[in-house]
Amino acid sequence: MLSLHIVALLVAGAQAAVLTLTSPRFIVSSSSGSHLRSEPLSLVYPASTPVSLAKDDVLKLTFQVVDKESGKGVQPHQTFLRFYDKISGEEGIQPVRVTNGGKAKFELNLARPPLSLPPTSSNAPLQVSLLIGSSTHSPLALTLFDLVIPASHPAPVHPDEASFHPLPEIHHTFRPEQKLPPRPISVIASAVVLAPWVVLLGLWAQVAPRAVHVLSPSIFPFILTLGAFESLLVWYWVDLKLGQVLSYGGVLALVTVFAGKQALSKIGDRRVGRK
Amino acid sequence: MAPPKSSPAASNVVHTLWKAYSGQTSDRLKFIDAFLVFLMLSGIAQFLYCVLVTDYPFNAFLAGFSSNVGQFVLTASLRSQVNPENKNEFKEVSPERYMTLYCGRS
Repeated sequence: MLSLHIVALLVAGAQAAVLTLTSPRFIVSSSSGSHLRSEPLSLVYPASTPVSLAKDDVLKLTFQVVDKESGKGVQPHQTFLRFYDKISGEEGIQPVRVTNGGKAKFELNLARPPLSLPPTSSNAPLQVSLLIGSSTHSPLALTLFDLVIPASHPAPVHPDEASFHPLPEIHHTFRPEQKLPPRPISVIASAVVLAPWVVLLGLWAQVAPRAVHVLSPSIFPFILTLGAFESLLVWYWVDLKLGQVLSYGGVLALVTVFAGKQALSKIGDRRVGRK
Repeated sequence: MAPPKSSPAASNVVHTLWKAYSGQTSDRLKFIDAFLVFLMLSGIAQFLYCVLVTDYPFNAFLAGFSSNVGQFVLTASLRSQVNPENKNEFKEVSPERYMTLYCGRS
């Protein structure tokens, strides 16, 4: 609230002297030097209309610190201007040089704003107050006026700034589950794949050589073991594990080797004998 | 393959070829040829299924197709050894040996 003003007198002791200002005054001038506004400041009420500065305007603030009783100029030990943004809570403290005679002159050039000026937004004025501290006098705090200045540039973005945000959640995309084709197509395809068997059996029915000796005791065990191998592979397909197949197959292979040796040597004997 | 083209017919070469084959090839070789034709047809059918319909159980296709091809190669080599016309090429290998190798490899 603009009407609110604070004159805080923190009485350090009963005998502490009191400071006051004489002829406090501010001047707003444009960059070309023409005065835009020049008003005396009231110590009791802050200025009713806020002081507004354009981009290159200059604000000059002059006052003299005097002892209230004697009227002599005093050089306080500490003199500060405080710029406070009520909305953001940011504040900036700017020391003000005061001469031996208590005279002070502060200049705020917006073309070269001091570092102590807090960052400003477009809609919130800065509350400007004067803080004076002295070891021989009571401290003094005066709310002077509200200051409207152009919004500051946004803070420069740090090059690594983008790394300090949570990344978007990772969504894994998987290849869709492969599907079997529709049942009719599967049936047709099975028929097509099985059709060569019909061709095979048909052709064999025509040209099968007479297998005369297959059932003879020397050859038949060999045929039997070969058949057993086929059955073992079917069994593997249906149920067995690889280790079992290898062990069974190993045993079966021994038997097959003996049976095959027997059968083939028998056939060989017959062939040689026939010749 | 084996059948010689002894009668070059001008009109129908294929027919002549077939006649020569069926007339001059022994039943044993025809028996093996039938098996070769079967393996070829079966492999083609599986390959077409894989290409045209789906390769979903791809390991099943690999197993079926590669066993077809492998068996075809083995059977074709058996046929070339059994063929009486190639007897001179395989003099030192006995027919029993082919059979042993064939059964063992299969």
